[in-house]
Amino acid sequence: MKGLSKKENLKCFTWKRDLTIINGELNKFFLFRLFSFLILIELLFSGISIKTYAQEWRQAIEPWKWSFPKDHGAHLDFRTEWWYFTGNLRSSLGERFGYQLTFFRQGVFPMAKDPGFPWGIRDIYLAHFTLTDVSRNQFWFSERISRKGPGLAGASERNMNIWLLNWKARMEGKRINLRARDEGMALDLVLTPRKPIIFHGKEGLSQKGRKKGQASYYFSYPNLETEGTVKMPGTQIPLQVKGISWFDHEFGSNQLAQDQVGWDWFSLHLSDGQDLMIYLLRRKDGSVEPSSSGTLVTRSGEGIHLKLSDIRVEVLGFWKSPNSGGKYPSHWKIKIPSFRIEIEVASLVPSQELLTKGSTGVIYWEGAVAGKGLSSGKPITCEGYVELTGYAGGLGGAF
Amino acid sequence: MKIVTKSFLRYLPRRLSLSLLQLVGVACGVAAVVGMTLSAQTALRSFSNTIEFLRGRSTHTIQRPVGPMEEGFLSKLGEDPAVKWLSPVIDRRLRLENGESVRLLGIDPFLDRTIRPEIYRIEFLGEGRENLENLLSFLTDERAILIDSHLKEEFKIGTASILKTKKGPLHIKGTFPNPSGESLVLMDIGHAQKLYQLQGYIDRVDLILNDESDFIFRWGKGFFIQSSLQRRETFSGMLQAFRLNLEALSLLALLVGVFLIYNTAMFAVVSRRRDTGILRSLGANRLEIVTAFLSEILILGFLGGACGGLLGFFLTRILTGLLGSSISSLYFFLRPEPVAWSSWIVVIGMGLGCGASLLGGALPLGELIRTDPVKALSGRIATPESARKAKRAGLGGMIVLFLSFILFILPGAHVYVGFAGVFGFILGVSLLMGVIFLMLHPFIKRFLGRVGGLSGKVAAGNIRQNLGRTGVAMAAFMVSLSMSIGLSVMIGSFRESLIWWMDTQIRGDLYIGKIDEAEVPEDFFEEIKRIDGIGGVHPYRNVLTLYRNTSINVSAVDSTILKKYARFGWLRGGNENWEGVKKGGVIISESFSRRFNVKEGDTITLEGIKGPEAFKVIAIFYDYTTEHGLVMMDRTTYIKTFGDRRLNNIGIFIDPDQPRRAELLEEVRRKAEARGLPVRTGSQLHQNILDVFDNTFAITRSMRAIAIIVAFFGIAGALLTLFIERSREFGIYRALGFSTGQVARVTLIEGLEMGLVSFILSMGVGTVLAMLLIKVINLRSFNWTIFYFPSLQPYLITGITAILASLGAAIYPIWRIFRTYPQIQIREE
Repeated sequence: MKGLSKKENLKCFTWKRDLTIINGELNKFFLFRLFSFLILIELLFSGISIKTYAQEWRQAIEPWKWSFPKDHGAHLDFRTEWWYFTGNLRSSLGERFGYQLTFFRQGVFPMAKDPGFPWGIRDIYLAHFTLTDVSRNQFWFSERISRKGPGLAGASERNMNIWLLNWKARMEGKRINLRARDEGMALDLVLTPRKPIIFHGKEGLSQKGRKKGQASYYFSYPNLETEGTVKMPGTQIPLQVKGISWFDHEFGSNQLAQDQVGWDWFSLHLSDGQDLMIYLLRRKDGSVEPSSSGTLVTRSGEGIHLKLSDIRVEVLGFWKSPNSGGKYPSHWKIKIPSFRIEIEVASLVPSQELLTKGSTGVIYWEGAVAGKGLSSGKPITCEGYVELTGYAGGLGGAF
Repeated sequence: MKIVTKSFLRYLPRRLSLSLLQLVGVACGVAAVVGMTLSAQTALRSFSNTIEFLRGRSTHTIQRPVGPMEEGFLSKLGEDPAVKWLSPVIDRRLRLENGESVRLLGIDPFLDRTIRPEIYRIEFLGEGRENLENLLSFLTDERAILIDSHLKEEFKIGTASILKTKKGPLHIKGTFPNPSGESLVLMDIGHAQKLYQLQGYIDRVDLILNDESDFIFRWGKGFFIQSSLQRRETFSGMLQAFRLNLEALSLLALLVGVFLIYNTAMFAVVSRRRDTGILRSLGANRLEIVTAFLSEILILGFLGGACGGLLGFFLTRILTGLLGSSISSLYFFLRPEPVAWSSWIVVIGMGLGCGASLLGGALPLGELIRTDPVKALSGRIATPESARKAKRAGLGGMIVLFLSFILFILPGAHVYVGFAGVFGFILGVSLLMGVIFLMLHPFIKRFLGRVGGLSGKVAAGNIRQNLGRTGVAMAAFMVSLSMSIGLSVMIGSFRESLIWWMDTQIRGDLYIGKIDEAEVPEDFFEEIKRIDGIGGVHPYRNVLTLYRNTSINVSAVDSTILKKYARFGWLRGGNENWEGVKKGGVIISESFSRRFNVKEGDTITLEGIKGPEAFKVIAIFYDYTTEHGLVMMDRTTYIKTFGDRRLNNIGIFIDPDQPRRAELLEEVRRKAEARGLPVRTGSQLHQNILDVFDNTFAITRSMRAIAIIVAFFGIAGALLTLFIERSREFGIYRALGFSTGQVARVTLIEGLEMGLVSFILSMGVGTVLAMLLIKVINLRSFNWTIFYFPSLQPYLITGITAILASLGAAIYPIWRIFRTYPQIQIREE
């Protein structure tokens, strides 16, 4: 689960404006990860005018009848959708890297005003791209936003084929090709699933709040064999890398409750072959939303739903961002007692904060992590990605 | 302060009127230079600011050789590995309801803010919800626009507003900062496409490239790719001829200004000969005299320069606007901001004033300190000496004239050399002034004697006797008058040539659509063609493209219709030239031929949609539409080469013997108006062109006025000096029984004579100057031939100006005579 809202993020809408007046109305329906520009669109076309528009967006209520490859494509009836790739990579010399490549589609109008006109706005596409160089303790981030336009951005409804200018994710047969390039950083990877698709929640219907419709459809490829090249800024030659990735695809229209401020999301690959996903929705009062949950994927690829009561997460250390001032957890102890899993996980590079310099307003932490511990009594190692939102939102306005 | 200096400076307040006149003289000279130079600089800087601002962070642009580009290329461009970022742009003129035209950029804000981040500090109108709605409606309201700070000021935008344009009302949603001199309107690219009926097309793509050569390798064919540097050069190349003329005008202002200051400084020196003699006899040494003089000259220079700087600053306010409208009507819309006040302007003025004063004072001063004190005591220079000096100056003048003649006949010389020649000519002629006057003197004397009796004879004698002073004043006046005649004759001839040209090319009964906006839908053209009885419906297309990396125009015409109805002015051959055009050849304008040295029978290569295409040059025609060069081809050739079917305007030709003529014209007009297309008759179009022409020369005309004002002060100064200096002579006149009226008449006739002599000379010099401007300057800077059309009017106007100015200049001295003459005694004798 990713993407909740945080009212403060709004403040830094880049086209310059203090929007505090309307912040109060915002939290209800929001997906965190969108640029504040989109937050505004959301506000206007769905937030305030919810009565007229929200009905027209399809709601995530009934379990979905999955059909692939079609369901890898876009679901334009739903307002928000994303395709989320994160992974941990190693070069032949053993240097460790991390990457994130994410595409968002945010619906603006359920019905296009002028369907044949490419510049007409129905959806807006956004993408984030990060690279982490663990051995050099470096992190780079880039972002994009575009309307569909005449082929500038888009997502096929038939299969996985999403692009925003020259950033793209495309599935052919069993293989997913990821490509992105910006300001010296580049990525060209082929991802092949080692385990089948896992559906989270109830056959993919993932509840995010108590109310009907406060949910999304959510599935993952928890373990993708990854091979290709990455290029770090400042270097000339792309590096050959291999590793493991996690892919999430989620779509919905209206998922969050008003009292939620952010979430912690973990995707971990354990060295004994199991994969673990946990999301914890945090509420204003500091408690965790009871519908928070997780999924344990066995070595054979079977997904086991974990309720909040199955999961124990203890924060052991923090990192304070010098840029945003946000204080993020950076070291955890995670226990799944029913499966005898007990691991300690820490960020590989502390500063994996996505902090946008004037073009977007959202601040969050998403980065490569690694750790070790015990599984069924045997020592294991693990690596993966963690996403932390809502820790530095209030500072968005500083930019 | 040294006693000598003090005694000199006391002279200034004592002869306040003369000192003031000198001050005004310096001030006017400095003002002319400062005003013209600063305005020219401001306009040109504002132009380069605009280009820089609009360029933003882009490193390159890509566009079709002519016309808009298919938007389908955007996704391919986005995938190109050399492209770091891109932003599609629609770059058009938007005509406001008040007739003003501003630039409209259609952009995709998502992509464009990476290229032009400065623009996106937008303030949306309204508060709270309304503010947000305005923000979003920029993307959803088809008529939503953002306007820049200039327009905001001009239209006093409040909370919600409408911008009235010829394309209907547009909804203003917010404003953005614009540091450049050009007014700008932003619109979402999709809405701009709809506004200009450009669906599926964009004008160009601004790019940030990381590998130019790779990119050009992949995209070079069928597209124009220009780096920002090339683009800037292309644009400044368009302004080249214009800039050159501005520079020349500044130089002209400098010349006139320095002349006047020189004149003034020289008066200061010459009128003090006697004082110098006295001081020298009293024991003052040369150094003291020089110091004293320099202080006086410098005080005049400083004060006059400071005033001139101020005056020049106010002058820029007028001139900058004039320049802006000239550039706008000829090239692209520009509204240069007048230069901001800075104390540097005064400092520069002081520097100019002092520099020119020193320059002007140096020669006479040098001579003064060499002079024997006794001789100096006698006051004015003795006659034989001034004649000798006039001859010496004349010799110098001959040499300068000879040198400038060489400059003119240098083969293939740059237009700068031409300007140098023109200035040399003016300088040479003014140096010759004294000698010519000496030669003319006997005739003048006889003439004045007959007209003014004794007073006339005395006046003529006086001028000859005081040639040192009067010569310089007359030279300055003559230069100004010649400038006036030369510029008027040149402008007049140009105007006549333009009228002749319009009659060769613009012969239609009606014109629909504006040349500078490609707006006439093709189906409208077809619709008009179907009307029975119309002799010819001519589709016209004119676009900018590049030839040898320089901006030129290409026109598409229907050669069959033009052959029948137009009467082009060919350099060689006649209407049979159209046959070659029908077969795929091109005709080129004289400016193109001269600029690129292309002749009939040569081949030129233009970049088409499928790569380079070669065209045979069939003929050359006279043309004044663009100094950049024009290539004209048949519409079928054009469409085949550039794939562009758009139309700028269509011309309607109806045979003179067509009985339903009026009815047909009315029908066409009705159909055009129903589509909202502008309709003009042939003569209206002629008038529009002439208006643009007159507007363009507004600045030249204002320069002419300045030159006359400056010269006016020159004559007034000379007359006043003559009067003040000759107090003693007036005593003699009085002793001889001259009445006040007679003495006044002497002064009046002196003024008149100087004006007359200057004018007579300026007729010749002005005519030569006009020929030089036409045959050398225009030909070299604009590459077109202007035909010399003799006309009496410039001479008459200048003559009347000369007489009025010299009479005006005599008024004050005459007033002084009436006040002081009755008390004058011969005290010294």
